[in-house]
Amino acid sequence: MTDTMASVTKSLHGVLRPSVMISVAAVLAAALLGVALIFAMGVSVLDAVAAFVDGTIGTPYAVAASINRSIAFALVGIGFVIGNRANLVNVGGEGQIAMGGIAATAVALYGHVAGLPAGLPFLIPLLAAAIAGLLWASVAGVLKIKAGTNEVISTLLLSFIAVWFLYWCVQSPELLRKPMTSSATLPESLEIPDPTKLPLLTGDYSFPLHIGLPVTVIIAIIAAIVLAKTVFGLQLRAVGFNPIAASRAGISYSRMVLVSLAAAGALGGLAGGFMLLGDQYVLKDGFSSGYGFDGLVAGLLARGSVMGVIAAALLFGFLRSGGINMEMVAGVPTALVMVIQGLIVVTLAGAAFFIGGRRT
Amino acid sequence: MTLDLLAVFIGSSLRLAVPLLLAGTGELVSERAGVLNMSIEGMMLTGAFAAAVGAWATGSPLLGLLICVIAVFPVALLQAVLSNTLRANQIVTGIGINILVLGATTLAYREIFGARSREQIPGLSKWSPPLLGDIPIFGEAVFHQVWLLYAGLAIIVLTALVLRYTSIGIVIHAAGAEPRAVDKSGVSVPWVRYLGVIFAGFMSALAGAFLSIGDIHTFTEGMTRGAGYLAIAGVIFGKWTVGGTVLACLLFGAATALQFQLPTLGIDVPNALLIMLPYLLALLAVGGLAGRQTAPRALGVPYLRR
Amino acid sequence: MRDPTRTLVEPLLVLQGVTKRFDSLVALSDASLDIMPGEVHCILGENGAGKSTLCNLIFGVHVPDDGAMRFRGESYRPSGPSDALTSGIAMVHQHFSLVHDMTVVDNVILGQQSGFVKTGVWARRLERLANDYGFALDPYAKIEDLSVGERQRVEIVKCLIREPRLFLLDEPTAVLLPDEIAALLNVCRRVAESGCAVVLVTHKLAEIKKAADRVTVLRGGRVVARSDRPAEEIDALVRAMIQGDVKSLDKSAASALGVVEAGSDHAGQPAPTETPAQEAVQIDGLSVIDGQGVTRLDNFTLSIGPGEIVGVAGVEGNGQSELAAVLSGMAVSSRGRIFLGDIETTHLGPKEITAAGIGVVPEDRHTVGCVVEMSVAENMFLNRLEDFTSFGFLRRKELMQAARELMTRFDVRAVSPEVAFSALSGGNQQKAVLAREITLPKLLFLLAAQPTRGLDVGAVAAVYGHIRAACQDGAAVLLISSELDELIAVADRIVVLYRGRIMGSCAADPRERERIGAMMAGQAP
Repeated sequence: MTDTMASVTKSLHGVLRPSVMISVAAVLAAALLGVALIFAMGVSVLDAVAAFVDGTIGTPYAVAASINRSIAFALVGIGFVIGNRANLVNVGGEGQIAMGGIAATAVALYGHVAGLPAGLPFLIPLLAAAIAGLLWASVAGVLKIKAGTNEVISTLLLSFIAVWFLYWCVQSPELLRKPMTSSATLPESLEIPDPTKLPLLTGDYSFPLHIGLPVTVIIAIIAAIVLAKTVFGLQLRAVGFNPIAASRAGISYSRMVLVSLAAAGALGGLAGGFMLLGDQYVLKDGFSSGYGFDGLVAGLLARGSVMGVIAAALLFGFLRSGGINMEMVAGVPTALVMVIQGLIVVTLAGAAFFIGGRRT
Repeated sequence: MTLDLLAVFIGSSLRLAVPLLLAGTGELVSERAGVLNMSIEGMMLTGAFAAAVGAWATGSPLLGLLICVIAVFPVALLQAVLSNTLRANQIVTGIGINILVLGATTLAYREIFGARSREQIPGLSKWSPPLLGDIPIFGEAVFHQVWLLYAGLAIIVLTALVLRYTSIGIVIHAAGAEPRAVDKSGVSVPWVRYLGVIFAGFMSALAGAFLSIGDIHTFTEGMTRGAGYLAIAGVIFGKWTVGGTVLACLLFGAATALQFQLPTLGIDVPNALLIMLPYLLALLAVGGLAGRQTAPRALGVPYLRR
Repeated sequence: MRDPTRTLVEPLLVLQGVTKRFDSLVALSDASLDIMPGEVHCILGENGAGKSTLCNLIFGVHVPDDGAMRFRGESYRPSGPSDALTSGIAMVHQHFSLVHDMTVVDNVILGQQSGFVKTGVWARRLERLANDYGFALDPYAKIEDLSVGERQRVEIVKCLIREPRLFLLDEPTAVLLPDEIAALLNVCRRVAESGCAVVLVTHKLAEIKKAADRVTVLRGGRVVARSDRPAEEIDALVRAMIQGDVKSLDKSAASALGVVEAGSDHAGQPAPTETPAQEAVQIDGLSVIDGQGVTRLDNFTLSIGPGEIVGVAGVEGNGQSELAAVLSGMAVSSRGRIFLGDIETTHLGPKEITAAGIGVVPEDRHTVGCVVEMSVAENMFLNRLEDFTSFGFLRRKELMQAARELMTRFDVRAVSPEVAFSALSGGNQQKAVLAREITLPKLLFLLAAQPTRGLDVGAVAAVYGHIRAACQDGAAVLLISSELDELIAVADRIVVLYRGRIMGSCAADPRERERIGAMMAGQAP
């Protein structure tokens, strides 16, 4: 009995440790500032908050949409945390999502998968999405190993390239643009066939929560276990702290860098796949806009903990939904949410000085 | 390609390279001193926004320029404090500041101008150097540029001279390579690094101002579009020398100019690919096309006296 | 020697009850001493006694937690090196703070002037100063091209050009050739004669005998003895320093104090002429050329028999790092082959090297040897995690248990195997690294580079005890050290590295000391 009590107290201590408190405090402070800004803009705070709440939990649809968003952030965030264990900073989430979305759409539309049995119509495009993201991030991994290229710059540049590649894909009828019937045809793809759309958990379109949710939860659990309990996780940490000593101990630096960046890319790609196959169904320009950074910030906020990523991802998912509604109804630009996120990151980075030491 | 088109191409390349040159030189000094300043992008955007709003509000582009330099100061100071005094992770703070600035400038712009406005803003005037401006064919296209370009080039040359021939140059070099040497010689490492970051801020502000009130005379949300990261790539490509950075940024500028040049030559390349080109080039550059990079040894590592 | 009639001169620097803590470690406790102008004052103590902390407090790198300092009669509370420098205090640190890709003159100019740099003027001043003190210095040479001894001279000139009143040197002789040591002590004498006080921090008794006017002895952070006539009171000083007699120390530990008894264990023992049927380690024509095309290791050929300890002597920077890097699989040689018995190990990476039975104790413990942020247990088995793996999962309990056993066996003192490696003292960290490498399943070859650097006498004895034990079990040992006394005491024979080449070899006999020293300086035998 006392053993369980002891472990419960230990878990509580773990949850309430200073780094967590700082994260919570930063979020609250930024939120307060957000409210202050709303007030300063002359918008009725009440209206804004009402719109926000409505957008987040007002309807079952809103809740589902928020959670679906969170899935994308969570996957990118988990990928970031994995990379960060090895002291790699993957900033290319948006590009990896874009590549994933492109691959998923291409395979769903033109991969002749619609007729396949047993879930393959959506599983194969999902796999393609993950692989696309994996390969995209691996470019940065290879550059790091071969040329020592700073992965922050390379993943960032790759992200820009991917975003413009996406633009090209939806602009060109030769690529993924839907057949142009007139000059007013929108630059976007055809809608993916029904079998390739992700099944919903409840089957009810007014609560469109798709299977991405359980899959993401499983991925999160696996990631947490791998990082904490496996030898691979330990070796990743060693490489992150001291690549030379790790190398001397027989741990392959190249392998660790490649695997962790590839994993981060795969998760990012998968996020893009979920977005396309799960709720958007049509590939459009800029669909990944902002998701990469949101996921990144969720990863930073989590300070190395996978469970922390889930919490932060949920927060941002709801924040984004609320923000969109606030803009539509109360006229508060979504840029406000960006300001809040920027403040959170900056505050946390600075706060590390005071709580001494866990690497962000 | 006719000489006319060549002249236009060179002129455009220069024009498009200016923001990169200015920001790149600022980042160079910051990195030589040991601070990896990812927030260049945000500082450029601050400069672009403040210059635009300042020029619009006062009716004078010069005042706009002054305002933008003042406005970037708190942003640069924030980065400097976070990176040096609080010893925060420099990459994280840089990206955080970029997100913050993007949000803040977008928000402020919407508030002042309303969405989708393309208000005309008084811009900086152009200038030609005396003899060069009169060269046939090339004179007008190449040398008739916004005067900020010439001012910027002068600053860049001055920076190179300072780095090489003055004691500040020695201190900056040492601060990035072996900060202990600086500390044990009685000079304050944080002070040098603050200087580097604030200089980078100053140059980024000028770069941003060039974008908004120099080049297109307007402000659009997020108008820097990754130029700050291209500048960082330029510093890496240029192996942390002024000359190398200038060349790299000119190259990126030329790549961007191709976007407008190739269609006039009748070459039909998808627009997206052309827009992608500078980033692709930058990726190749940092990917080792230029040989293994040798960054200042203490780059990105906050100094702690032991 | 000091003029005995000048007994009424004011002390230059006075420390009263100075205490300094780093977290829970008390580095210096209630230390009081005074330094007179024009004297050579030695601070004697083992590694870890608090000598560097003392210097750093005087130079303003740290601020005392308690106590006071007075300089030239006034209260002295520097908040940083710039205050110390302004007051007229200059310091040569153990780890040089020079910018590698800058020239000598630029390094000296750093912090000394503002505005446009008058390189020519400073270069001439530099040369003149160096000449005055009897050594040559090229102002336009780049630091990275200089030898360790030359770099130290740059550090010295950098200090002396400021015409200081107090000149601190922290363990300056650790990196020098025997000849260079004599030259340095001369420089100290001359600086003192000009009226500047020289504070020389050392753990070598020989230096005390030669150079000191007065001595203060530190042990465990406290001042435990003082002497005005150190040459005559050496034995008492040593007793204060190590709480024991030199005679009671084992040879290797005594060597750490720079005392080599005439007639070591190996006196009279002929250099092994009987080559065993199979050499354990054969290195043949090993060469390393670095990225700039400079040859760092040139045609290194050596055989080591099982149970034999071969020492590699030489000042650091003469190819030892490259040799160690190649042997441990961390670097690739340009030419040459390495054999462990029958097996060629030339191109093996670190993992295979370890699997082949080669243990390495690297010279830079913190960069190469361990991951300080991780736990003791994780560090001690970092190269053998597979032994504790089931289906990819780490068997943590087993790991901790194994770590506890190893820690007991090798006397690695820590609160538990789960604490961070950084919490261990230097000596315990080294013992842990040694434990990891020596307990390889079948250790055939042990490479130890500077294994006792920075360790106190007790840890030194422990390290050599384990190395000798490994020897007795049949392992071949290659011991790289810039401490000649250590090699003479411990090794069977010695080869000397100079500028990457083997200058010669001989028995590890104290009588060969001069010859070895000459080879270390580049003089062919």
